[in-house]
Amino acid sequence: MSSAVLQNGTRIRATTESVAVLVCLLALWWLASHLQWVSKVFLPTPEATLESLVQGLSTGELAGFTWDTVVRMLLGWLLASAIGTALGALIGASATARTWIAPTLEFLRPLPASAVMPLAISLFGLSGGMVLSVVAFGAMWPVLLATVHGLASVHVRLREVATALQLSRTAFVFKIGLPNALPDILAGMRLSMTVSLIVAVVGEMIASQSGLGQAILLAARSFRASELFAGIVLLGAIGFVSNALLALLEHQFLKWQRTG
Amino acid sequence: MSESPLLRFDQVGIHLGGREILSPTSFEVARGEFVCIIGPSGCGKTTLLRAAAGFLQPSGGAALRHGKPITGPSREVAFVFQDYGRALLPWRTVAGNISLALEAAGVPAQQRPDRIAKVLDTVGLGAHATKFPAQLSGGMQQRVQIARCLAQEPELMMMDEPFGALDAMTGESLQDEVSRLVRSTGLTVLFVTHDLEEAIYLSDRVIALRANPTADKPSLAAMVEVKIARPRDQLLTKEHPEFLRLRRELYGFLGHH
Amino acid sequence: MRTWPTLLRPWVFPLLLLALLEAAARWLVPGSDALAPPSQALQAFGKALSASGDESVLQATAFTLSSAALGLLLGAALGVTLGLVLGLSRRAAAMGFLSIEVLRPVPSVALIPLAMLVFGFGYRMEISVVAFATFWPLLILTQAAARQVEPQLLEVAHALGLSAWARTTQIVLPAMVPRLFIALRLGVSFALVVAVTVEIAANPSGMGYAMMIAQQSLAPDLMLAWLAWIGLVGFAINALTLRLQRAIAHRMGEPHTGVAP
Repeated sequence: MSSAVLQNGTRIRATTESVAVLVCLLALWWLASHLQWVSKVFLPTPEATLESLVQGLSTGELAGFTWDTVVRMLLGWLLASAIGTALGALIGASATARTWIAPTLEFLRPLPASAVMPLAISLFGLSGGMVLSVVAFGAMWPVLLATVHGLASVHVRLREVATALQLSRTAFVFKIGLPNALPDILAGMRLSMTVSLIVAVVGEMIASQSGLGQAILLAARSFRASELFAGIVLLGAIGFVSNALLALLEHQFLKWQRTG
Repeated sequence: MSESPLLRFDQVGIHLGGREILSPTSFEVARGEFVCIIGPSGCGKTTLLRAAAGFLQPSGGAALRHGKPITGPSREVAFVFQDYGRALLPWRTVAGNISLALEAAGVPAQQRPDRIAKVLDTVGLGAHATKFPAQLSGGMQQRVQIARCLAQEPELMMMDEPFGALDAMTGESLQDEVSRLVRSTGLTVLFVTHDLEEAIYLSDRVIALRANPTADKPSLAAMVEVKIARPRDQLLTKEHPEFLRLRRELYGFLGHH
Repeated sequence: MRTWPTLLRPWVFPLLLLALLEAAARWLVPGSDALAPPSQALQAFGKALSASGDESVLQATAFTLSSAALGLLLGAALGVTLGLVLGLSRRAAAMGFLSIEVLRPVPSVALIPLAMLVFGFGYRMEISVVAFATFWPLLILTQAAARQVEPQLLEVAHALGLSAWARTTQIVLPAMVPRLFIALRLGVSFALVVAVTVEIAANPSGMGYAMMIAQQSLAPDLMLAWLAWIGLVGFAINALTLRLQRAIAHRMGEPHTGVAP
């Protein structure tokens, strides 16, 4: 009983210290901006940032931009996950396909997702559709590669069980391959979400599409530092919430991994 | 009354990786027989079992089931692997794993729950239907695999050292369970093991194989009938004079030269 | 022993795709602003290689590579140092936890306008964004590497009565080196990606910018050439760092797993 109290005590101390460090950083920010260690043009005060945030959200302007970016990110991510899993399943289901195509995939892996943006601009012009297509294309790769890997890593024993039971190839993919790949696919989807946000923001900046990306670019150009920082805070919040939600989903879906 | 043998190996030879694993070997298995295959490591007993199950083709000779060449795996032939952990789907419950065999056979969804329940009761796992394999002991997992094989309603069951990864006590209780099952269902069994006592205890006939076959010392070293009455008992049968005699006779074939 | 067919096989699929693109760009949509035949792209790139000045291939590639390298140097220096501290001291890790969780989710591209504001265009802006982006993965990976040092090694250090400094330098750091190099390899690849992204989004220098200019000048052959060149450079650098990482791992006595994390 006393050890539990001790553990709780340590946990409380850890949390307090963690909060304290964060507060110290905020205090540092406050000092730096008020004492002009860094010019106010570059570093707004925390209060100014908060004010911009509150104002932007209450007038609906910042809220609207946030919504636009989130929708772009989510839609692109959903498309990317669906297409990535489907293509990945097609490639991964056949050992022959894997042998011939895998080296090309490895070559394409290090390419920045935004690199196809110029091509997309030539094809679709500077539009929301263009940004969405690049988001979906760029975010597709982590899921695709994860699916191929997950299908390729099915243990030979399970393959033999499938052969012994005379499972059709489609049945194998759906009953054995994809479930086996699920942990990898979910991890890939998490990575996809990060890529989606990044490409959505870049796309908004380049194609002048309504959203936080464009908002912070314009704020920087007009030297409105507090609005710029407010936008950065919101983008960080989007990143945080989306990742937390996905982690929760992953936890739910992979319950069977933690039993026993 | 002679019935055509269920399984027949006619001068079956198997070459793998440039080596002769099995020299031309012939034997027959009749319906309802329990045949054990023993031998030192490298003698090709697992390879022979896989050929009989249709996982690989013989390099020479013919492997026949009901007189017809074995071209590949079939639902009539169930295979129990030694590494049960790898042969079960970790993301499905025990019932779900059994269901896989029924789904593969195209059994309609309404019929499945009953058949799953029945086969789980047969192996004594009725109370664990909703557990995941990771929550079960090794012996229970192996029983799930056996149950899945039974769900196929096969005529032939291949078992590749199924109790090799289990402790002695669990292995013995599973031996008795399998014997009981086989007697009640009339299944034909081909059982590979490196444990001589297990082989004699379970089988109607023991086939002993040699490693590194040569012209004058082919793979098939001996084939011996086990004429001990059933049901057998872990303690009494192993003290039976016939058991001890067979044990002495076959001991040398396990590579203890 | 790799036979001819095994060596050539990886090339079949991409060559097929290139042939398809060549046919489509030549006969299906000739004169398109978006698609160009790979043969033309090769020609355009050849011309660009011989050019000099701001638009030369060498200049642009050097810009991207150097800003990525310098940004990584900065980000890695900070990330590894902090990662070491947090990895070796549970208390420090607990203290820093909240701050890291709050700051880490900010996407590096969100800092591009800020960097633009502070530094204008050029090297410093790109280096700062790359530094911010690479800081986090290196922090996390170094922390993990420090935590994963075999506890038995630490017990040996304790039994030998080594001071904290000696323990860190003689046991912990050497044990971490293989994992550190894995982290660095990932950092290199990530730094390149971020650098090119900054150039596509804002910075008027480097390979990403050259590709954007090609698109704006309606030169699809040059645009495709730059895309391929970016891919090639990235692939080559990753392959080199992988070799280096494997060599270090081998030198430090790690078993060769042959599996890239």
